[in-house]
Amino acid sequence: MSRPDPLAKLIEQLQRLPGIGAKSAQRLAFYILKTPREDVERLADAMREVKDRVSYCSISSNITDADPCYFCTHPGRDRRVICVVEEPENVTAIEKTRDFKGTYHVLMGALSPLHGVGPDDLKIKGLLARVGEGGVDEVILATNPNVEGEATAIYLAKLLKPLGVRVTRIAMGVPVGSDLEYADEVTMHKAMEGRREV
Amino acid sequence: MPVHQSEALILRTYKLGEADRIVVFLTKDRGKKRGVAKGARRARSRFTGALEPLTRADVAYYERELRDLVRINYVEPLRSPLSAIDDVTSDIALGHVGYFAELIDEWAPEAHADERLYRLGASVVEALSGRAPVDRLARYFEYWLLRLQGVYPSVTACAACAGPLEKGAVMAPREHVYVCRGCAPAAGGTSISAEALRFLREAAAAAPDRLAPLALSAPAGRELETAHRRLINVHLEKELKSARVLREMSQGSHGSEASRVRR
Ligand SMILES: [Zn+2]
Ligand SMILES: [Zn+2]
Repeated sequence: MSRPDPLAKLIEQLQRLPGIGAKSAQRLAFYILKTPREDVERLADAMREVKDRVSYCSISSNITDADPCYFCTHPGRDRRVICVVEEPENVTAIEKTRDFKGTYHVLMGALSPLHGVGPDDLKIKGLLARVGEGGVDEVILATNPNVEGEATAIYLAKLLKPLGVRVTRIAMGVPVGSDLEYADEVTMHKAMEGRREV
Repeated sequence: MPVHQSEALILRTYKLGEADRIVVFLTKDRGKKRGVAKGARRARSRFTGALEPLTRADVAYYERELRDLVRINYVEPLRSPLSAIDDVTSDIALGHVGYFAELIDEWAPEAHADERLYRLGASVVEALSGRAPVDRLARYFEYWLLRLQGVYPSVTACAACAGPLEKGAVMAPREHVYVCRGCAPAAGGTSISAEALRFLREAAAAAPDRLAPLALSAPAGRELETAHRRLINVHLEKELKSARVLREMSQGSHGSEASRVRR
């Protein structure tokens, strides 16, 4: 049985989302088909709006609806400290601890030879430029405690130290091999507290 | 649903759905497998720390009829590349974890066991944890991997005249064998010094944790790196992602000097 085209098209698009296989895509598509028009329009609007209004901060690469982002502009944030994380989700995890008052730099990933992610694929040049401009005392490397995150931290430390800035690495209070996205507040707090110079 | 339990090398993982991971692993006794580790991405997963590439582990899994993906019960690490991380670890050494894993993944058979490949992989994990010099380890690993596949050219006899290769050799452009200087084309190709060939002959008899005494200067290492890259690319018909990333990483951290030398 061949499906009417628009439905096939929707299934095809849904299937491109991470974690959605052919079966889930079909289930979602049929769900959308049965859903009242207003609900579907709200979903479509939300998707359009996120593309129109949310973008990446030109300084920190964090996700934001105003450029530069809140952390880069708020007078209460200490611009002398930059915390480097892999993903925007990690900013949320650190903000939950409520004791970090510095700024962020989001790399948009980690060095991953296996997945073909090299230095040029990450927001490293922007970080070096921020530090190079001066006024930064400390860079905290808060990449994930796994092989990729460690390699990224060591790589960055090598590039940052010659710029005369203090470089620290978060403590491994977080279970080794895990993802900071899932670290709870207490763990994240301990990891930041226990950071050491590298 | 028979449960299999085997020593295995974790090669790579992919995110699956909300909280799971697909794990590609090389078992000692039944070849390469792909399986699902349920909940592996949750904060307190039983798989935490066990799924890093090149972890050597006891793995229990069961195969499901008509499904390509096995279901992984547990992964109990025996040796992890994470255990090697300390203040002196280099990003390049950690980058090689992915490189070795990708090479094994590319060559590992799906359907049957390759115990020699498994042993090579396991011994390289061991050598990495023991902080073996990573450049030498990489050249050693490539040499042995290609040898096990039966595609490494002779390092003792010229492929054209069968004469000895004592004074060095050349891998001519578009050829993937070593010829003596007399048989080499007038220009081009990858020159391999006598020192580099000596390293290979000694590597043939050395275990990877005994690499420290084997001499390999930086220029000789680069000759082998180039020759091996050509061999790997021609046999895989592509360049490995990890090889490209490693090159970019060493250019970035050694500055323009390194990139100039590597041209
Ligand atoms: Zn910002
Ligand atoms: Zn010859």
